[in-house]
Amino acid sequence: MSTVESRRRAGLSGLAGLLTAAAGIAVAELLAALTDPAAGPAVAVGGVLVDAAPTPVKEFAVRTFGTADKPVLLGGIAVALAAVAVLVGLLAARRRWFGPGGAALFAIAGAAAAMSRPAAGPAAALPSLLGGAVTGIVLWTLHRPAPRPEGFDRRAFLRAAALVAVAGGAAVVTRRVRGGAATRDREAVRLPAPADPAPPLPAGQDPGFVTANRDFYRVDTALTVPRVDLGAWRLRIHGRVERPRTFTFAELLRRPLVERHITLNCVSNEVGGPYIGTARWLGVPLAPLLREAGIDPGADQVLARSVDGMSIGTPLGTVLDTPDVLLCVGMNGEPLPLEHGFPVRMLTPGVYGYAGACKWLTELELTTFGAVDAYWVARGWAPRGPVKTASRIDRPGAFGRVRAGSVPVAGVAWAQGRGIAAVEVQVDAEPWRRAELLPVPSDVTWVQWRLTWAATPGPHTLRVRAADGTGAVQPERRATPFPDGATGWHTVTVTVDG
Amino acid sequence: MVRTKFAAAAAATALALSLAACGGSSDDTAAPSAPMTTAAAPSSAAPMAGTGTQFGPGCAAVPTDPANPGSFDAMAKVPVASAAAGNPLLSTLVGAVKQANLVDSLNNTKDVTVFAPTNDAFGKIPKADLDKVLADPKALAAVLTYHVVSGKLSPSELAGTHKTQQGSDLMVTGSGTSFTVNGNAMVVCGNVQTANATVYIVDTVLMPKS
Repeated sequence: MSTVESRRRAGLSGLAGLLTAAAGIAVAELLAALTDPAAGPAVAVGGVLVDAAPTPVKEFAVRTFGTADKPVLLGGIAVALAAVAVLVGLLAARRRWFGPGGAALFAIAGAAAAMSRPAAGPAAALPSLLGGAVTGIVLWTLHRPAPRPEGFDRRAFLRAAALVAVAGGAAVVTRRVRGGAATRDREAVRLPAPADPAPPLPAGQDPGFVTANRDFYRVDTALTVPRVDLGAWRLRIHGRVERPRTFTFAELLRRPLVERHITLNCVSNEVGGPYIGTARWLGVPLAPLLREAGIDPGADQVLARSVDGMSIGTPLGTVLDTPDVLLCVGMNGEPLPLEHGFPVRMLTPGVYGYAGACKWLTELELTTFGAVDAYWVARGWAPRGPVKTASRIDRPGAFGRVRAGSVPVAGVAWAQGRGIAAVEVQVDAEPWRRAELLPVPSDVTWVQWRLTWAATPGPHTLRVRAADGTGAVQPERRATPFPDGATGWHTVTVTVDG
Repeated sequence: MVRTKFAAAAAATALALSLAACGGSSDDTAAPSAPMTTAAAPSSAAPMAGTGTQFGPGCAAVPTDPANPGSFDAMAKVPVASAAAGNPLLSTLVGAVKQANLVDSLNNTKDVTVFAPTNDAFGKIPKADLDKVLADPKALAAVLTYHVVSGKLSPSELAGTHKTQQGSDLMVTGSGTSFTVNGNAMVVCGNVQTANATVYIVDTVLMPKS
């Protein structure tokens, strides 16, 4: 009898621990879902573990679980948490203060994790602290000195169960609603017509001049694509300005919008690499916004910050002097895709993305290069990232096989802001030949080029070089992408079958 | 009563799990530590699930510090020619690849397998012969492209006959973690991942049958 009874009591105590922990987490997640989804303890602790995990562990996770790695991690956290919760429940049955003590430890861990996330304020600690308080109080109440020999308050237990059900259910529903909100917000956006539309594309271009949104390269540090609540989103312009300003999305859309075809590329692109694309962007010109805010003459850097804590610095002079530096809201006729920075990203024609194209933009601070190193600059990349003149052979592809005879050779060349004056192609050690340049709408897009090659059987090497609008030929010398962009003449080897 | 409690416990556990999973709407799994090439375009994301890890005695010679460009971590994030360029064990190969103008072709090709001879492998070739090949771009390109096979071959797909970019076949025998190419080149470190290629480091330079 006594063994059975003590087992039953142990079971109940463990269950109480599990239940109260669930109640606390449910309350914390509900508050987070209502205020700041990133502050939920489960996601925050997961994020900290991901960041803290050594790279081999991360790569093992990616290889083993593929795209399921995050759910597996979060599931693992839940299982570990449940085990500790049962333990706390058992301990609390013996020493009453173990309940609130254990809950406090959980709360502090969750709060610390939430506070450590990029872009977290002190309020990020609240969901975890409140959840911990709920768990602690309920455990304390459950193990109140017993009026009956059972030493366990059944009514309190049921109340806790009800709390789990209500708060947990509400948290799930709220999170679903809010999680889908960014997608729905985006679908609900009606972009105004541009006050200054993009000049029509000249006739005679090859398909592929404009890169479809789904094919557009993506290079960023976001583990999960930030999902911005459009109603709560604000753009703040501050720092070395006379009149700091804050804009809602609707206020930005009320300004005259400009539409342009612009080519964007990534500094980490290897010679001949894929991290480049051209889209028709719709956006608010940035320079007038800054001028309205009153620029402090001492400022020389526009530091953009994203909702997930990325910072990207662009020279103020570039922003003011380059035509069409935009705060983009549209891409190829639709609102920015979530993974390309919805609701607003910056775009600086002629500057690599890491130095001019902050996604999920929420803050623009006027400052100096001396005062602040942007994210990539702090990691050794060059503070300023002007695009280097470059060219690429797309057809035939590397290690391609073609039939002898007339073979079309084609590709792209780019020098945003300077334009492309000429492209030349060399086969083996033959003389360089001029390629035909297809028409472009402006000097901030890539240029498509092509020529016909009388291919003879055997292995051949083709290489390409471009001259920009100033007449300067792109450097032949090989440089790695780090720290300010790759250089070298793109060279491909092809085999011609007889 | 007991049943009610267990139902509540089950509900609580299910809730805790569903709450956790709600936050996991991840669609991008690249490691966050590498500058700029982390969440690359979908075509060149981190190694796919199920590719496993590298194996072989030669792997011990590869640097382990992820900050070292020759480490497996660093190599996994850049295309194959750039990856090899960071690895001091492969400097002769890298020099030959540059000499033959194959850097971009190797970097730009999607999904290939590269058999990468070590410096010691090149050292086995009599110097006069090696110099002769290095001085003849066409011959050099033929030798080097003979080390490249289309598609990323996992260890389980490695044994067998494969057509090379040079045109003729090579043959891999063995299984598990022990493989030999063309009967004489041992895989000393296999299944090394780079952004666009799976690399098998071999102890002998492969020669196409001429």
